[in-house]
Amino acid sequence: MIRYMIVQNVLHRPLRTLITVIAVAVEVTLVIIVVGLTSGLLLESAKRIEGVGADIMVQPPSASVFMAFSGAPMPIAIAGKLQQLDFVQAVAPVLLQFNSVNGLDIVYGIDPESFRAVTGGFVFHSGHDLLDPNDILVDDIYVASKKIKVGQTLHILEHDFHVAGIVEHGKGARLFVLMPTLQDMAGAHDKASVFFVKCDRTDHTPAVMDGIRQLLPRYEIRPLKDFISLMTSSNLPGLGAFINTMIAIAVAIGFLVIFLSMYTTIIERTREIGVLKSLGASKSYIVRIVLSETTLLCIAGIAAGVGLSFLTRFIFIKVFPTLTILISIDWILRAGLIALLGGLLGASYPAWLASRKDPVEALAYE
Amino acid sequence: MRNAARIFPSAETLTLELEPVLEPILKTENLWKVYRTGKVDVPALRGINVEIFPGEFVSIMGPSGCGKSTLLHVIGGLAQATRGRVLLDGNDLSAMSDSARTLLRRHKVGFVFQRFNLLPTLDAYHNIALAQHIHGNGFDPHRFDVVANLLGLTERLKHKPSELSGGEQQRVALARAIISEPKIVLADEPTGNLDTKSSESVLGLLRQLNKDLGQTIVMITHNPEAAAYGNRILHMRDGLVVNGTSIH
Repeated sequence: MIRYMIVQNVLHRPLRTLITVIAVAVEVTLVIIVVGLTSGLLLESAKRIEGVGADIMVQPPSASVFMAFSGAPMPIAIAGKLQQLDFVQAVAPVLLQFNSVNGLDIVYGIDPESFRAVTGGFVFHSGHDLLDPNDILVDDIYVASKKIKVGQTLHILEHDFHVAGIVEHGKGARLFVLMPTLQDMAGAHDKASVFFVKCDRTDHTPAVMDGIRQLLPRYEIRPLKDFISLMTSSNLPGLGAFINTMIAIAVAIGFLVIFLSMYTTIIERTREIGVLKSLGASKSYIVRIVLSETTLLCIAGIAAGVGLSFLTRFIFIKVFPTLTILISIDWILRAGLIALLGGLLGASYPAWLASRKDPVEALAYE
Repeated sequence: MRNAARIFPSAETLTLELEPVLEPILKTENLWKVYRTGKVDVPALRGINVEIFPGEFVSIMGPSGCGKSTLLHVIGGLAQATRGRVLLDGNDLSAMSDSARTLLRRHKVGFVFQRFNLLPTLDAYHNIALAQHIHGNGFDPHRFDVVANLLGLTERLKHKPSELSGGEQQRVALARAIISEPKIVLADEPTGNLDTKSSESVLGLLRQLNKDLGQTIVMITHNPEAAAYGNRILHMRDGLVVNGTSIH
């Protein structure tokens, strides 16, 4: 009976219902997309690093796992020392630069020979390897996003590069230039940001890491096998706070809209509440009706929000092919729970207000 | 002699069987209700003493503002008395908490209002069934059918209030009031919003409920013709019952 009454109440005011459902859907979408975007970027970045094919990554002391935040304080001569360690097959020094023109990208400054030795080399879709100091390699996803062709000029890092080749994605970055060129541009001569180390056998990785620790005691030495697990928002200062802030804003939207919606509903239905009380409905019965109606609105909003999230992801990826938005069941459930709790919290005061109404005054309400 | 006593009971036994002592279903004792408007106390009821007996159909008449509706609200447990006592089926409403009065209303009182007060989102069927649901004893299809038939609602149950005439809405309200078999039905100007024909129909139904089912009814009305449907009329003025008339 309560269920029927609630459904009828919801259908009785379709515009109010629609607006409330949309507000909850926006709340859910905001949470899912913000988390999905950050998680997706981190995961995609981690996969590309893993795609380099190295076994170990060596960074300067206290360097972040997020390499874009690292400078270039390591002498490139370290590569020679690493190469001499037992079980080391190849070492590739890489200089990183962060490009924020026309998007956010990491540019790898590489030595083609050593990079090839570690990664197994690029798979070329077209063009050729880096030969000229102004050459640049771009991956296929970047090409799809920016609509560029081999032979075209690409202006990044305040420099005009010549697109020499298009390569398969997944080798650390989307843009690759010769290391000396990037060193000149960054004023970091004979410096590298990271060393990728390839062992002769994967099971020798721990032994090589021990050797590196002895050689470079305070340096950050990470096995790439576990790299994806390290790329989380909790490892990036400020990202967790950013996500929490976005969730708080989303919850505030849902809370306020539900509060307003249920508050106006209670005012509008004052006489009906009086009727229920005259029939002997208890306070808890009236609270149950209000909160059940809120729950129904929230469930509809959550379902719409999940659908809207997938639609948003589809559109975003169409427009920005380099983006990765990771929508996980875990965060769909969390976003739903957040929306439901926020909604119930928003409806609790109006529900309490309804249950406290004086039946005589409520019945006389015009 | 013993056999004769069996066939012809003594005069004392006969009296006990034919005239049982009837307890009032509703009794008020020196009932006061005072509203406070700003710093001024406005008494709506000034010491009412009435007794309503099971199976009675009592009409209460009086001019606007004499306290009729207030009396109905207080004896129905919707409002708390300021002073005095209200005994409904032996329960003292004036000593009860809000929750206890709610429970008492649920099980012992049925209300009928001038403006019908049906829930606009529900059809007639669910408006009536709602009372059974709140009552808490589950849906009784037999009782529902009896009431719907008695009030001529069988063909109108799927319609929402906005699709029903005033008379039909009031019949639905009447069905809702009696569906859970209350001890007493309190009707506040039940014909106040109806035309003459619908009024006669609703009043006829009230009388039928009273006569056929023995339903105790207290009805407030301005209309002497409507009041005449009851078997006793109480006249109120300035918060007091000034006289009563029995109709045979």
